[in-house]
Amino acid sequence: MSETQITSNCRISRNVIIKAPGLLPMLYTPREIAEDLDIPETTLRDWLTHGAPHSRDEWNHIWINGEQFASWVDNHRKSKHKLSQKLKDGEGFCLRCNEIVKIQNAEIHPVRGKLCHLKGKCPKCGGIVNRGVWNVGTAELPQG
Amino acid sequence: MVFGMLERQNYLKVKLFLKFSGEVQGRSLAQMSSEFDCLKFLLRWAGQWPLGAASGFTPTLMDYLCLEYGQVIHYEDVKRILGTSQRFFLWAKAIFPVEFQGIRLSWIMNLKTIPERKEVIF
Repeated sequence: MSETQITSNCRISRNVIIKAPGLLPMLYTPREIAEDLDIPETTLRDWLTHGAPHSRDEWNHIWINGEQFASWVDNHRKSKHKLSQKLKDGEGFCLRCNEIVKIQNAEIHPVRGKLCHLKGKCPKCGGIVNRGVWNVGTAELPQG
Repeated sequence: MVFGMLERQNYLKVKLFLKFSGEVQGRSLAQMSSEFDCLKFLLRWAGQWPLGAASGFTPTLMDYLCLEYGQVIHYEDVKRILGTSQRFFLWAKAIFPVEFQGIRLSWIMNLKTIPERKEVIF
């Protein structure tokens, strides 16, 4: 059995991202790879169920190819990086809806120096949405 | 064994050596991590062959490091890799005398010596 699907449920720590390229092109047991990456074995087994590449032999033992695992970590890091996007002018992140929304009735509250808070309402749930803004002069406030 | 894969027994011996380094020689975690990084070059050099036959490998460890990593690793790092490899072989010869009987003590002691002509490369 071999799986290469990448899911977004795994949170890979920075330590693993740094150490993974050092894995050797050989078959590791889960315990060995967990020791080399300095993570709990349970975390690694969780990643395996979430699509980290591995194979099983005729005795159903799990084997992980070091190079394949390193490339999986790299791909996972890159896919996470692609998901993050900059907020456009007048947009904010609603913590209730867990998505980017256009802030309604936005007001600017100065915090310190050039830093201001753009405070408004979420058009979907009506909850308060805050967003830090550096330069008020360039930020466009949404109408409505 | 899949072609291109490293020999697992070599890796297990290196791990055993690191355990010995930590528990018997009292090396710190940072030192052990550094030693492991050095011995990874040794494992890559051996490839899918057992380290017990290392004296017959071509190219030699020194030449391998020059050819593969000459541009990216420093001269001092090469000395460190050769020094750690020497300690590993001395330990392995004592622990696995049958498996490492083909490796002579003189070969191990020459491992750390860098010929003068090689110094130009780094």
